[in-house]
Amino acid sequence: MDQETVRTICFLARLEIDTNKSEKIQKDLETIIELIGGLQSINTDNIDPLYSPLEKTALKHEDIEKSDNKKGKFLKNAAASNEDYFLVPRVVE
Amino acid sequence: MTIQFKSITELRMLLDQKSISTSELTQESLKLVKKYKELNCFVTMNEDVSSKKANVIDQNKKTGSMLSGIPLAQKDLFCTEGLRTTCSSKILSNFIPPYTATAVKKLEDAGSITIGKTNMDEFAMGSSNETSYFGNVHNPWKKGYVPGGSSGGSAAAVAAGIVPAATGTDTGGSIRQPAAHCGITGLKPTYGRISRWGMIAFASSLDQAGSLARTAEDCAILLNTMSGHDLKDTTSLDVAVPNFLENLNNPIKGLKIGIIKEFNLSDLESEIQSRFQDSKKLYEKLGAEFVEISLPNISASVPTYYSIAPAECSSNLSRFDGVRFGHRAENTEDLNDLYIKSRSEGFGDEVKRRILIGTYALSAGYYDAYYKKAQQVRRLIKNDFDHAFKSVDLLMTPTSPNTAFAFGSKGTQNPVELYLEDLFTISSNLAGLPAISVPHGKVNSLPVGLQLIGNFLREDQLLNAAHIFQENSDFHLAKPTMEDFS
Repeated sequence: MDQETVRTICFLARLEIDTNKSEKIQKDLETIIELIGGLQSINTDNIDPLYSPLEKTALKHEDIEKSDNKKGKFLKNAAASNEDYFLVPRVVE
Repeated sequence: MTIQFKSITELRMLLDQKSISTSELTQESLKLVKKYKELNCFVTMNEDVSSKKANVIDQNKKTGSMLSGIPLAQKDLFCTEGLRTTCSSKILSNFIPPYTATAVKKLEDAGSITIGKTNMDEFAMGSSNETSYFGNVHNPWKKGYVPGGSSGGSAAAVAAGIVPAATGTDTGGSIRQPAAHCGITGLKPTYGRISRWGMIAFASSLDQAGSLARTAEDCAILLNTMSGHDLKDTTSLDVAVPNFLENLNNPIKGLKIGIIKEFNLSDLESEIQSRFQDSKKLYEKLGAEFVEISLPNISASVPTYYSIAPAECSSNLSRFDGVRFGHRAENTEDLNDLYIKSRSEGFGDEVKRRILIGTYALSAGYYDAYYKKAQQVRRLIKNDFDHAFKSVDLLMTPTSPNTAFAFGSKGTQNPVELYLEDLFTISSNLAGLPAISVPHGKVNSLPVGLQLIGNFLREDQLLNAAHIFQENSDFHLAKPTMEDFS
């Protein structure tokens, strides 16, 4: 892993790393990648991935219409909002 | 009357005998929080609501549930309506949830009183509670030592006798390891047994709510209340919930316990090995039979976990963007800048590290090599457990390879050093199995824990074996002196 890769991952994750911490982060990531890279030696031919301990989930329930509008409560947690919307910096000129 | 260090069962008796009122009990508990403020185990208190609820319970003459009037602490990862929920992160330091997590709601509906929210590793990422935005929690047994993590605040609050029990969550050992380091009992139930709705997600296929308490019996009481199917969580199991108190006293003669061959216990400190052998002997005396059993892939649990958990974390934590809730950076140029600055200011170093690893493992070109590969190994590990439980009822390991350690003494140079603390606990999360940690003595004056792992949905067997152990020993009765904190 090089500094360029670290910058790309940071961008994908929408994170910024302090310049003085960048080398330490690179080293930490290398160490962790080395740890998880150890799995390559295990033979997993014809083994299906197990994405959840419960494979038969995603239960369905009846689609019943209900009104549970908590708009006020949800908007209250936003740093910027008006009476109907979350506000963000302008995205359309 | 002091209520410090009393279990739920003991407090229930005092309440039922009218030796103490719910209000007195709640106030005593709140006083203990203040007395031991230095432990730093609480992030937010719920004093007014607690006092009012206690008064209402006192005025209502009807007999309540086992938990009616019992003060509890909730890990600050469970959303609580109207009560700040931070996940011990700057990014949620001003978040007031509009709803309450199902697990907490069930406890509150049963009459328990949430006195406050407990400190934890930021977003539950850590094994020492040192990643919290609100500072380290001290281990009640030794000032300046970690309580374990991530449910470190909950463990410390119970160990210090402030509350009889607290909720926790366990993604890789986050209930069991702090329970072991603090000398209390901690239960991680089967994945899906308790609803995850309203728990702030770290790694959705591994996270599980559970309890930290003074005894296995108290864990059974809490599990009875917290369990059950929840339509709001599609991974919540639609299965019958047994009464976990009913089988606690079953004799354990003939119980088959497996010792995992691949965990080389001779690598551990000799005193930790001795405690383990002593507990094995006690179980043998009580009629249990031990067999050595091989789980060939279990040694791959740590790397498997540290591929899967960060991947799920990077996906789950993408919701924190400074727009709808949480910290928002000021003076941003555009929407992208708002996301980047809010997240960079809001998350701590360990959380950032895990998001970056997860982003890398999920990125094009690496997905198959890291994420998919880890999920394949995960199936091998689960297959190993399935095979083992054909010939044994339970598996037994130490909970943690070490005792609690001094602040800043592990993982600062190399994060993997701290990740290895979860060596014995991680595999049951990968396979979704229930596991419990019970105190079984001390090493260098610090508590150590014994872990029992059960088969899928067999918490009854786990709690039975843990309860019988506690009925025949007194390790769970040991209390810290608290001299350093008074």
